[in-house]
Formats: sequence, structure tokens, C-alpha cells
Amino acid sequence: MTSGRLQKLNLFGGIITVVTLLCAIIWAFPIYWGIVSSLKPEDEVVRPYIELWPETLTFDHYWFALTETQIGRWYINSIVTALGVTVLTVSTSMFAGYAISQLRFPFRRTLYWLILASFMVPTQVLIINHFVLVANMGLLNSWAGIILPQLIHPVVIIVYKQFFDQVPKDFREAAAMDNASEFGTLFKVYMPMNWGVTTALAIVSFIWSWNAFLWPFLAVTKNEMMTITVGITQVSDAFGVYYARQLAAAVLAGFPVAFAYLLFQRRVTTAITLSAGIKG
Amino acid sequence: MADISLQNISKSFGAVEVISGLSLDVHSGEFVVFLGPSGSGKSTVLRMIAGLESIDSGTLLIDGKVSQDLAPGQRNVAMVFQNYALYPHMTVRENMAFGLKNIRLAPDEIKRRVEEAAHVLEISALLDRKPAQLSGGQRQRVAIGRAIVKEPAALLFDEPLSNLDAALRVRTRVELAELHQRMKSTMIYVTHDQTEAMTLGDRIVILNNCKIEQIGTPLEVYNTPATKFVASFIGSPAMNFLSGTTSQGKTGANFVTSDGLTLETNIALSNFGAFELGIRPEAIRISDTADGLPAHVRVVERLGDRTLVYAVLPDGTQIVAQDSGRSGVQTGDKVHLTFDPSQVVLFDAEGKAHHS
Ligand SMILES: Nc1ncnc2c1ncn2[C@@H]1O[C@H](COP(=O)(O)OP(=O)(O)OP(=O)(O)O)[C@@H](O)[C@H]1O
Ligand SMILES: [Mg+2]
Repeated sequence: MTSGRLQKLNLFGGIITVVTLLCAIIWAFPIYWGIVSSLKPEDEVVRPYIELWPETLTFDHYWFALTETQIGRWYINSIVTALGVTVLTVSTSMFAGYAISQLRFPFRRTLYWLILASFMVPTQVLIINHFVLVANMGLLNSWAGIILPQLIHPVVIIVYKQFFDQVPKDFREAAAMDNASEFGTLFKVYMPMNWGVTTALAIVSFIWSWNAFLWPFLAVTKNEMMTITVGITQVSDAFGVYYARQLAAAVLAGFPVAFAYLLFQRRVTTAITLSAGIKG
Repeated sequence: MADISLQNISKSFGAVEVISGLSLDVHSGEFVVFLGPSGSGKSTVLRMIAGLESIDSGTLLIDGKVSQDLAPGQRNVAMVFQNYALYPHMTVRENMAFGLKNIRLAPDEIKRRVEEAAHVLEISALLDRKPAQLSGGQRQRVAIGRAIVKEPAALLFDEPLSNLDAALRVRTRVELAELHQRMKSTMIYVTHDQTEAMTLGDRIVILNNCKIEQIGTPLEVYNTPATKFVASFIGSPAMNFLSGTTSQGKTGANFVTSDGLTLETNIALSNFGAFELGIRPEAIRISDTADGLPAHVRVVERLGDRTLVYAVLPDGTQIVAQDSGRSGVQTGDKVHLTFDPSQVVLFDAEGKAHHS
């Protein structure tokens, strides 16, 4: 390779780096701004010009959010409902995906098409029906009420089905020769073969559910049953809008998800690629 | 150890009937090889015995027990898959024990069987490794181990050596033969490699187009092929074929080549007409004298122990003859070929063989 071509490559690489960096800055700036603002006194926040660093650093808003609100309760509600949704979604989808992929039964295809079709319906469209149903069941303001409508995640079933489809059928046959039952084949052969899929799907379900707002907002009216996403909207309630305070609560709400992201970065990327491949 | 008997077995995939009315008896302790070209139905028949393909009609007896409706795990047969299908997340020990745990064998017994099989197959040192940490040959052994720990009535193999390199294939072939000697269990082995079939099989079942062409010992199928297909499929270099017609001769049928040369045979025929004559390369003698078929030598391959002479007859038929290692034949020579009359075969228009 001549040095001229090398230089061209270098230049090209340089441009790419700069563009990527710019995009990253544009994307990350609101987050930075939110965090910085939550550390400013309220009067500094509403100044009409941009200050990249607080004049006076304060943790008062965090203190407020942690002591004056029911944030602890909201965390518990979020954790319980998000975990509930995750466990139930993943376990039911795993069975459904396995059945559709591996078992032969009448209307298997129809069932799969129905699941695919339900994937095309945005949950918001159904939200009134969900509300009426859950209200009639007397489950408003309860964990079960928050969890139930969130269990509709056809994409998890579809990802599982595709994963099971890809497993060479030799393994299924070897398991049959080895006298394994369907449950044995699923739990001892198919699932352990790639826990990565399950972990990734669990993380994504958890994050979806943790970030859910509209449904928990409708299903809960009592302060102590709110999830954290709904709860943070309550911080300002009584005395008008307090930007810094609300931002501090939002940072606290987002913290566990951000932490989970960092911890399982690679898995999350896998999961997003898996589900994006289907959505795309 | 068990007899396996297939009686009038048929099988369709959708509307296409691939196996129809196939019958076969495998005796206890026998090593039977299914040999045939790709798509001839070898795997399908094997998988029907294993229970991995359903049997549409007919009876399958394993050890005298009607088995066509039993689940694969309940037929008391074990199978070694072409791609081994070792469970990637289990260690070698767990792979071998999996089937035994599923039938709730006592842990002591499982341990004993796994270790014994590992000892026989010389994989004791690998028991705690995962399949990904094994070489192809070692995986192969584990796959065999996983089958033999079940102490099955019969072991089924579907092209088990096809993923190994040439040297390892030869070695494993010998080891499989030894394993069969030691275990004396019934084995059914699918391959499209005639060397494997000839060296391993007590009997060979030759399949073509999902039909049995011939069942016989390696020497029977080699020396007295039942059909032209078998004759052309077995043997390397392949048997030579000449087209011509037959008529009644003194000792048997006379074969007249398209060039009008007459070859006397001692094969008794009841009908005469268009026939093909088959002769193996090693049954052809190259003579300097003027008797026999005149031929023109195109290529000479010297293999050391023998020499292969590729020649053409005046009518353009290609003939391969085998001469001694010290053969003096040269490319371009005009030679005469004579055929050992006891090894001449005649094939009628349907491809059926007539031997002397
Ligand atoms: N699942 C299936 N669906 C439809 N046709 C099939 C199926 N499996 C096999 N066949 C057909 O049955 C015939 C026999 O196939 P089989 O796999 O038994 O061949 P084989 O002798 O094992 O070939 P190879 O040496 O390539 O493995 C082929 O014509 C094949 O196309
Ligand atoms: Mg095959």
C-alpha cells in the first residue's frame, strides 16, 4: 500500500471519528444538562443563558427527593412490578416460542400469525380496554394491576421462536434418543445451550417495564402504589414546577437502569439487535 | 444384541413415496452397512429404525418386539449422528450420562458405565471437558461413548466418519471394527464410501433410488453383483462395460461387440438380445499376441504395486485394465485385451446380472 493511500484512509478514519464524536455529544448533552441542572439551586436553573457548570453546587434536591417523597416505596413498586413482568414474560414466552418452533400441533401457523399480528397493534390502542378490564377485576392500585397488561410482549416470543428455530434439529433428535421429555429437552438442552438469549431478553423486558409510564400512570392513583416513573411527576405537584427537584428525582429513577445497562452492556446490545432484527 | 427385522416398510414424505415395501433382516451381532449414492434413502431407513422418522406402514421388529410405534428412546437402540450432536453446554461425562439420567438409572451405575465406556474409547482423560475443547476425532469418540453407555440392542451410525480427515477416518474405521469385535452388538452403519462398507460390513445392503439392489457379504457384492448398478457402484476403478448382443454359443452365450468381435462366455442365458458385458479391470489381461480385443492405450498410471491402463476400443468404448507394477505398456501402444472368462458378467436390458 502506498503512503498516499494510507493517508487517505487515515483522513477518512479521522472524519468518521469526529462525526461520531459530534453525534455522541449532541446525544449526551441533554443528559449532562439534566444532571448538572439537578445540582444547581432552583434560581440558577431558570437563568436564561447556558451555564455548563453550577455556580453553587447543591445536593438539596436529591436530599428532598430522598427524604420528603415516598421514593423508597416507588423504588420497591418499580422493582416488584418490573421483576414480575420480566419473570412472567420470559417464562411464558419461552414456552410459547418453543411450542411454536418445535412442536407440531393444529393451527400452529395460525397461532404464530396471530402473535405476529398482535405485535403490529400498539398497546396504547388497547389501553382503555385494559383500564376497564383491570378496574372490573378490582386490580387498580395493585401490583398485579400494573403487571398484567404489560405481559403482552410478542417480540419476546418471536425472538425465542427464532432462536429455537436456529438450533440444529440434531440436538432435538439426540435428546429424543436420550429419552428426554419435552420439558427435559427444553430445560436441559435448548435453554442452557444459550443462556445469553434469555439473559438479554430478561434485561430488555426489565428495562421496558421499568421505563413504562402510561399504563402505571393510569392504573395507579394512590401515591404509595406508584412506580418510580409515575412518582417523579408528583415531586413538583403542590407548589408549581421545580425543575431541579424533578430532575433530581428523574436522575434517581434512571439510575438503576443506567447501572444495569453498564453492567450488562454486551447482553443488552445483543438483545436489542435480536429484537431490532425482527422489528426492522 | 438383537435381531432387527423390517417387514414391508413404506414411507412417504408428503405425497412422495420414498420407501416402498422394503424388507430386511439384520441378525443379532451383525455389522450391516447401508451403502448407496446420495439420496438413495440410507438415512431415511436408518432413521425409521431409530424412530426419528415415522413408518407409514409395515412392521419393525427389534428383538422380536413390534417397535414401529414406540418413541425413539424406547426402542433400545442408540444412534451416532453425523455431526455428533454433542450437547455443547455439557461436559463429556454429562453428555454420556444424560440419557442414563433420563431413565433414572442409579448414579453408581451411571458412573460405572460412563467410566467403562470412556476407558474402552480411551477418553477417560477428557471426561470433564466441554465438546468445544475436543478435536474432531475426540468428539467422534464421545458420540460413540454416548451411544454405548446405553447398552443398546443395536447401534446405529449415520456417516459417522465423514467429518474426519482421511488419516483419522482410516484409524477410526479400524477402531470401529475392533469395537464391534469386542462388543459383539448389532450395528447398522450408513455410508456412501465403498471402502468403509467393504471393510466394516459383515453384510452390505446396497440401496439405489430408495430400493434395495442387493444384500450380501462384501465379497458377494463384489464378485457376483446382482445388478448393473451394484457392479458399477462397487469397485475402484469401476467395472468396465461393453455393449453388444448375445447369441447361443458352445459353452454358453456368445457376446458380440458392436465391432463384430465375438467373445465366448460360459454364462447360460435363456433369452438373447441386447446385453452389456461387465469385466473388472483386474480380470483383463494385456497380451502382445493378436488374440483378444484390439485397443489403443491412452493413459498409463503407474501406482507402484499395479499399473492402470486406460485404453479405447475401436468403437470408442473406454476400458480400464489393471496390469502388474512392472508392466511395460506405454502410452500410445496398440495392445490386445483378453478377459478372464470366469469373471465375465452379462447384464440384460433391465440391468439384471447373469453370472457363469
Ligand atoms: N424430510 C424430508 N422431506 C422430504 N423428502 C425427504 C426428507 N428426507 C429425505 N427426503 C428424500 O428422501 C430421499 C432419501 O433421502 P435420504 O436422506 O435417506 O438419503 P441418503 O441416502 O441418506 O443420502 P445422503 O448420502 O445424501 O445422506 C431423498 O430423495 C430425499 O430427497
Ligand atoms: Mg444421509
